[in-house]
Amino acid sequence: MTITVCIKWVLPNRDGDERFAGISLADQAALETGLRVAEALNESCTVITVGPAAAETSLRDALACGAHDVLRVDAPADTDSAETARALATYCEHSRLVVCGDYSSDRGSGSVPALVAARLGRGQALGLIDVQIVGETLSVVRRLDGGRRERLSVTGPAVLSVEGSVARLRRASLRATLSANDAIIDVVTNDASGAIRRTPEAAPLRPYRPRARVVPSPTGSSALDRVRQITDTSSSKGHGETVVLEPGDAANRILESLHTWGYVQES
Amino acid sequence: MTAPAHDFDADIIVVGAGPAGSCAAIAAARAGKSVVLVERGPFPGSKNMYGGVVYPRILDELIPSWWETMPVQRWVVKRSTMLLSDTGALNVDFRANAWGAPPYNGATAYRPDFDNWLANHAVEAGARLVCSTTVTGLLRDSTGRIQGVSTDRPDGDLRAPIVIACDGVNSFLAKESGLYPHTDASNFTLGVKETLALPKHVIDERFGVRDNQGVDIEILGGTSGVNGGGFIYTNLDTVALGVVLKLPKLAAQQKRPEQIIAELKRHPAVAPLIEGAEVKEYSAHVIPEAGLEMMPTMVADGMLVAGDAAALCLAAGIWLEGVNFAMASGMYAGQAAAEAITKNDVSSRGLSGYTDRLEKTFVLRDHKKLRKVPHLVLSDRVQHKYPAFVAGVVERVFRVDNPHPKPGVRRIVREERKKAGIGLLDLLRDGWTGMRGFG
Repeated sequence: MTITVCIKWVLPNRDGDERFAGISLADQAALETGLRVAEALNESCTVITVGPAAAETSLRDALACGAHDVLRVDAPADTDSAETARALATYCEHSRLVVCGDYSSDRGSGSVPALVAARLGRGQALGLIDVQIVGETLSVVRRLDGGRRERLSVTGPAVLSVEGSVARLRRASLRATLSANDAIIDVVTNDASGAIRRTPEAAPLRPYRPRARVVPSPTGSSALDRVRQITDTSSSKGHGETVVLEPGDAANRILESLHTWGYVQES
Repeated sequence: MTAPAHDFDADIIVVGAGPAGSCAAIAAARAGKSVVLVERGPFPGSKNMYGGVVYPRILDELIPSWWETMPVQRWVVKRSTMLLSDTGALNVDFRANAWGAPPYNGATAYRPDFDNWLANHAVEAGARLVCSTTVTGLLRDSTGRIQGVSTDRPDGDLRAPIVIACDGVNSFLAKESGLYPHTDASNFTLGVKETLALPKHVIDERFGVRDNQGVDIEILGGTSGVNGGGFIYTNLDTVALGVVLKLPKLAAQQKRPEQIIAELKRHPAVAPLIEGAEVKEYSAHVIPEAGLEMMPTMVADGMLVAGDAAALCLAAGIWLEGVNFAMASGMYAGQAAAEAITKNDVSSRGLSGYTDRLEKTFVLRDHKKLRKVPHLVLSDRVQHKYPAFVAGVVERVFRVDNPHPKPGVRRIVREERKKAGIGLLDLLRDGWTGMRGFG
C-alpha cells in the first residue's frame, strides 16, 4: 500500500515556454501532504503524472523532495480531465490514499480528483484547507459554500484534493536534487482502449460568462425605494431554498435551478 | 568521464550558469572531468541582464557553426555612434551587410534564451546542472584550502578540489576568497534598460533594416548630466534602450535612473525611433567598468574567477563588450581547471594555465591596450563638454547662413571650443590619450 500523489505539469499557455512550466501551488501542497502522510504512516509515496516527456522535470523535483517512486503516463499535455482520471485511476488502484491538488494551473476545474474517486469507487474529500495526521487517521477540513467548514475523518482508502494553502512544499536537498537529475523515470504508455474520446469543441476559447439573469424592474414609489430594492443585500432575493429529495432527483433539481439562473446553457 | 576523487562530489564546481559559467562547464566536461554547474535562478539566464549585443566569435572553438542553433534576435549589420547635445545629435553610421551572413559578427539576443542555450551545451557535454540553488560561501579544509561551496539547500555542501567563480559582478565568492582587496563604487556603473515593444515592420522601417538585420547604437551624452552613456539595440519586435550611469555621479546628483531613461526617450533624435512603443520590461544591473584597474587576482589555490566576477567587461566607448570576454575567460578557466585536475595540482601554480591563456589572448590584451580608455570615456570633459562641442561644430558647418559668407572650419572649432569651455591643452591631452588608448 502506498500514498499516491497525482500532479499535473502545465505549460503557461498553449504555445508556452517549457522553462516556465510546472505544477500548481495546489499540486505542490498535495505533494507535501502526501510526503508527510507517507512518513507518518510509514508508507511509500509514489507520484504520478499524465503528460508529455517534459513533465518529467516535475517528477524529478518530486523525487528530490523525497518521493520514493515516480511514474509518467505518456499522454499529450492537453489530455482532457476524464481521460486523465482514467489513466491515473489505473495506477492508483492499490493505493491507500490518493492526494491531488484542488486545481491545476491551467483550466483548474478541479474535476480530476472527483473522477478518480468515482473510477476507484472510493470516498472523496475535496477542496481541503487543512490536513492533520492523528495516529492512523487524517483529520481534514473541507471548504463549503458561504464560508462554512466541514471537518472530516479519513480512515479508509480515499481520494483527497487539497488547496495550495494546506502545505508549503519542502525544499529539496542538494544531494537529492543532483541524484534526481540522473534518475531514470518510469514511463508507461497510456492504454487508450477504455479511453473516453470527445470531439474537440470548435468554438474559440473565451472567458466563461454566465448567461445574463433577468431582473424585474423595481416597483417602489420613490427613487430611493427602487434603488434599495435593487441594491439592498439585507433581505433574501429568493434564491435560497431547502428541499429534501432523493439523490437522483436532487441532481436534476440542481441542474434545473442552474439552468434557470443562467449558469448552465443548453448544450 | 572520470569519477571525482575520494571525498569529493565532483572535480570542478562552476558557480553561475551565465556565459562564463556555461563555457567553463563545457570546456571542463569535454576534457572528461566531473562538473557541477550551480545556478541560482530557476533556469540559466532567468536572472541575467545586459544591454543586448553578443559577439560570439569565441564560440568557434567550443560550438562549431554556433550560428545555426544560437537563439538570435537580429544579426547586427549597422553600428552607429550617436553624440547627443541637449537638442542636437551627430550620428556616425557604419553598415556591413556581410555581417548578416555566416560567419557573422555580432547579434542581439535575449539572455534567458542565449544563456539557456549555452547551458544546454554544458549539460550535453556531461556537466550536471542544478538550478534554484544559491551558493552561500566557500568550504575550506583545516589548512584553509578551498574544498567546495555551501549552498542554501538543505544538506547543501558540495565538495570539489576546484571552484570556478562565475557568479557575476560584485562576486561574493571572489571577495570571500580574498581575491578582491576592496570594492570601490567609482569602478562600477549602473546599467538600466527598458525593453520596448514595436511591430517588426516598424522597427525595420525606422532603423533601415529588413529580415533579421539589426542595429547597434551607442550614445554619448543624453544622460542628464550623469557621467555614462546610452544604447539602443534592435530585437525582432522589441527595442532595448538604456543608459549606463557612473554610480558616484548618480548618487551625487540624486537622480532616479528611470527619469534619465525617460529624458533620453524624449530627446529629439531618439523619440522618433521609439514612438508608440510599449514598455515590456525594466531591468537594472551593476557593471564593472574600470577594466584592468579593478580586476581581482584571477587565481587562488583551488579557485578561478571568470566573467563579470573577474571584472572582464570592456567599456571603451565604441566597444562595449562583456559576453565575449565572459565566454572566453570561462572557457580558459574550464580548460585550465581540467589540466590541473589531470596533473593533480590544484594550487594556484597548477591553475596558472588560466592566467597564461588570458594574457596571450584578447581577454587581457584588449584590456591592457585600452586600460586608460574607460576613464577617458567617463571623464567630465568627454561626458559633458565634447558632445555639445562636436554637435555645435557640425551644426555650424552645415548651417547655411546667407547672406553671411561661410566661416572657416578652424574658426568654428575655435569658437565652439571656447563656448564649450574646453581648453586647448585639455583638448590636445585628451586627443593624445585617446590616440594612445585606442592604439
